[in-house]
Amino acid sequence: MFKLNLKIALRNLWKNKGYTLINVGGLAIGLASCMILLLYVAYEWSYDKESKHYEDTYVLYQHQKASSGTMSWAWTPGVLAPEIEAKVSGVVRASHSSYPQAAVLSYNQNTFRKQAVYSDPQFLKIMAYKFLKGNPAKALQEVNSIILTETMAKNLFGDEDPINKIVKLDNKEELKVDAVIADLPKNSTILFDYMLTWALWENQMPYVKESGWGNNFCLTIVQLQKGQDYRQAEALVRPFLANHDKGATGFYTLHPLSKWHLYSEFINGKSVGGKIDQIRIFFLLAFCLLLIACVNFMNLSTARSEKRAKEVGVRKAIGSSRNALIGQFMLESFILSILGMVVAFVLIELSLGYFNNLLQTDLVIDYADWKFWSVFVGLTLVTGFIAGSYPAFYLSSFEPLQVLKGFKMTGKATLSVRQVLVVFQFVFAACLIVCTAVIYQQLNFIKGKSIGYNKNNLVEFPLQGNLRKSEHKRQLLKDELLKSGAVSDVTFFSRSISEGGNNSFGISWPGKSAKEEVLFNHRSAGYDFAKTIGTGMISGRDFSPLYKDTSTVMVNESAVKTMGLKQPVGTVIQFWGKPVTIVGVMRDIVMENPYAVTAPMIVYHNMDDVEVLIARLNTEQNISSSMATIKEVTEKINPGFPLDSKFVDDTFEQKFQTEKLLGTIANWFGGFAIFISCLGLLGLALFMAEQRKKEISIRKVLGASNMNILTLLNKDFIKLVLIADLIAFPIAYLIINKWLSAYSFRVSISVLPFAVALLLSLIIAIITVSVQSVKVAKANPVDALKYE
Amino acid sequence: MITLQNIEKYYAAKGLKSYILRHVTTTINQGEFVSIMGPSGAGKSTLLNILGMLEEPTYGTYEFMGEDVTSMNERKRIELYRNHIGFVFQAYHLIDEMTVAENIEAPLLYKKIGSSERKSRVADMLDRFNIVGKKDLFPNQLSGGQQQLVGIARALAAQPSIILADEPTGNLQSAQALQIMDLFKKLNEEENITVIQVTHSELNASYGSRILHLLDGVIKEDVSVLS
Repeated sequence: MFKLNLKIALRNLWKNKGYTLINVGGLAIGLASCMILLLYVAYEWSYDKESKHYEDTYVLYQHQKASSGTMSWAWTPGVLAPEIEAKVSGVVRASHSSYPQAAVLSYNQNTFRKQAVYSDPQFLKIMAYKFLKGNPAKALQEVNSIILTETMAKNLFGDEDPINKIVKLDNKEELKVDAVIADLPKNSTILFDYMLTWALWENQMPYVKESGWGNNFCLTIVQLQKGQDYRQAEALVRPFLANHDKGATGFYTLHPLSKWHLYSEFINGKSVGGKIDQIRIFFLLAFCLLLIACVNFMNLSTARSEKRAKEVGVRKAIGSSRNALIGQFMLESFILSILGMVVAFVLIELSLGYFNNLLQTDLVIDYADWKFWSVFVGLTLVTGFIAGSYPAFYLSSFEPLQVLKGFKMTGKATLSVRQVLVVFQFVFAACLIVCTAVIYQQLNFIKGKSIGYNKNNLVEFPLQGNLRKSEHKRQLLKDELLKSGAVSDVTFFSRSISEGGNNSFGISWPGKSAKEEVLFNHRSAGYDFAKTIGTGMISGRDFSPLYKDTSTVMVNESAVKTMGLKQPVGTVIQFWGKPVTIVGVMRDIVMENPYAVTAPMIVYHNMDDVEVLIARLNTEQNISSSMATIKEVTEKINPGFPLDSKFVDDTFEQKFQTEKLLGTIANWFGGFAIFISCLGLLGLALFMAEQRKKEISIRKVLGASNMNILTLLNKDFIKLVLIADLIAFPIAYLIINKWLSAYSFRVSISVLPFAVALLLSLIIAIITVSVQSVKVAKANPVDALKYE
Repeated sequence: MITLQNIEKYYAAKGLKSYILRHVTTTINQGEFVSIMGPSGAGKSTLLNILGMLEEPTYGTYEFMGEDVTSMNERKRIELYRNHIGFVFQAYHLIDEMTVAENIEAPLLYKKIGSSERKSRVADMLDRFNIVGKKDLFPNQLSGGQQQLVGIARALAAQPSIILADEPTGNLQSAQALQIMDLFKKLNEEENITVIQVTHSELNASYGSRILHLLDGVIKEDVSVLS
């Protein structure tokens, strides 16, 4: 029985190649999209879950009350980890480490600027990194130890054995390679290329050792005993800050390592989600896509029901039970879904490279993983079942007598189910079109918004080696660069201009109330700062060699507003307890987050704090030759450190990564959804044309023109699409409104995206349907009437 | 074998009952060859469909081999149907996607007959109807007469005790029609299979042993044919 059914099913599919192609194609695209999204979701989901201890590992968060609400961050003082290890019961180990930071590592002629983390042996144990070479027990014990990742070791040493070899950090410290660990999976929050000791950091940066509870500069993670309730430990850790720092309002909490990546947003010290929202959207999208592919299948199968009806009737007349028929149709559906899956596989493998590039991930299909195969098989079966169930139950319900007497589908009831299905598909597609359009609008809006300075032709690079320490070298570099003609202005800054960080509550001004706590960004800048970055001074002046700028500061507009100063220039304010005079007011510049309101900023002039050189390229020169000149000049003055320059507009562009990604994904998968929906519509059109063949022929005999017929046929579909749009628009409005509400600066929702969606869906529908209806309208009426 | 008691069939439309069959009462015994005749719209096909359990009467009782069909549940009816009734259609109604051999095999599959038994019965049928050479062809590659032969072979493969034929020669040329009728007669006489056919043709009816004349849903005449 099964064998025969299989044979018949294959024969059927082969006979109707076009139909099989549409079906398999639709299913394959649906399945492939679903699988890729699921792979991505799984990838994000498995963030930081590499370590075998991940379930018992927690990241310390500090929460700080301020006027604008409680702020939370995973930056803690260095003294926290030892204190926790000593005083909190149930803690197996606690570790402090730096966040990854770039530094130059070299071995002989091989020099690389890569990410380093300063940490302790506990960190290695908690994260349970896989050691490829060297003794894990002895790693990071001595001050001058270093651990390399596999790739880093390969880059530095080639095929040599790196163990106990000496490498140089920043052309200065000599470090002995302790061990080589496997490369970290890309889905780790902490990513580094090599690991240094905490003790070395203390040597390099005295503040690491000296600063107490008030300075948050490192990451603290703890591993609790297996199965331990973290709330007990948290209750003990919570008041540490207040215990040590009288009057401190902050407190600590434990945040599970496995939730670090996806639940990174806090409101009032409580985790409120984060990237998980996006992941949920993708997850939903995956299944919606699969569902509309299934709907498509249903539509096409029932569309062919007239052809299949006779078979059903005959089979029933010769003794088939309904179940046997359901089994047969299910079998066909499973065969199609398996075929679809095979094609989907090819599609996934072909497109994975592209998506990895887009999402900056390394998604791979892990063929050895039983989880992958079970999802794979599960999806195929579920698809086969969902797609097959409606046709199977519908077709098998035909009464043999009706069919054999000469099958006339009255059509009303069955058509309505199918109309609902098509409406469902188009609701989905229209929603995606609207959302994509608004995402692009928002992106353009933010990009078009003034950022307060001119980011074009602006280059920045970190100061390394002697350039960090010697004022003389810095001045030399500035002069040489200006002399070379490659740049028109040069200044120095304490951070990258497109980076956040470095903020403080330690600013007070005349008239500030005692309770008010406002977080100010603080930066150190060199001379000609405002001039170089191209921002205007609202009043006062830039830092300049003409003045003595030791106790003067510039503030931005937003700071003036916050402090409520009428005459800002000349006002004396307190900065970390020292009186400083405001000499200039700059326009607000967007540094970290282009979507949020610019925070108040205070800029002082202390050349010991500058870490970055910012230069404006000379527009009269060719950019690449200017860049070459900069490289040459800098590396001559500061040998041994490869230049790591970046265009500010490029770095700035990266801030839109998330939104761009969302836009691109919505675009791609929206496109797929529309495409699959079109296949469904085509199915419906085929069905309808078949059904109304006679009616159309009679109309033509009575004198209807081709145009009349075409209008008649397309009218119904246009109605369906309009209904779908009508349902979709409020839904889309709600979704997009929620999405936009996360941004302080946002486009107002206009009619435009909706109009675009309406027009697009109508055009697509008309084109799809017309392919079929033109054929019907042009057909010779005699052919259809002859057989009556 | 078959007892019909006061069978009625009507469709109610806007309160008006339009009768297809009225007060049909008759008995058909094992081994009879009955022809149902009458003008168009007399209810011949409906009566045959009721006999073949494809349609239910509105009223009345129908006993098949001593069992009341009208009160039987679906599963039992299919069971009874599978084992005892073979249908032959005017339009053959072969399954287009199946070859000749598969078409003949299909009812056996539903009867859950073992593979070797199926093979031998199909081979037997092919042999008997001289269509061995055509067993791998599809229905649309055959002439009408050949298709009807396959249709009958399919009905016979399940070894039914009764064959119901709805104008089996209606679509055939006269030479082929004769051949089919001879076949029915032979089956009836040699294998004692009950045959009930609906026909317009006096000639076809003369092959049978008894004729039921139907007019406007009522049995007007019940005559035996003298051969």
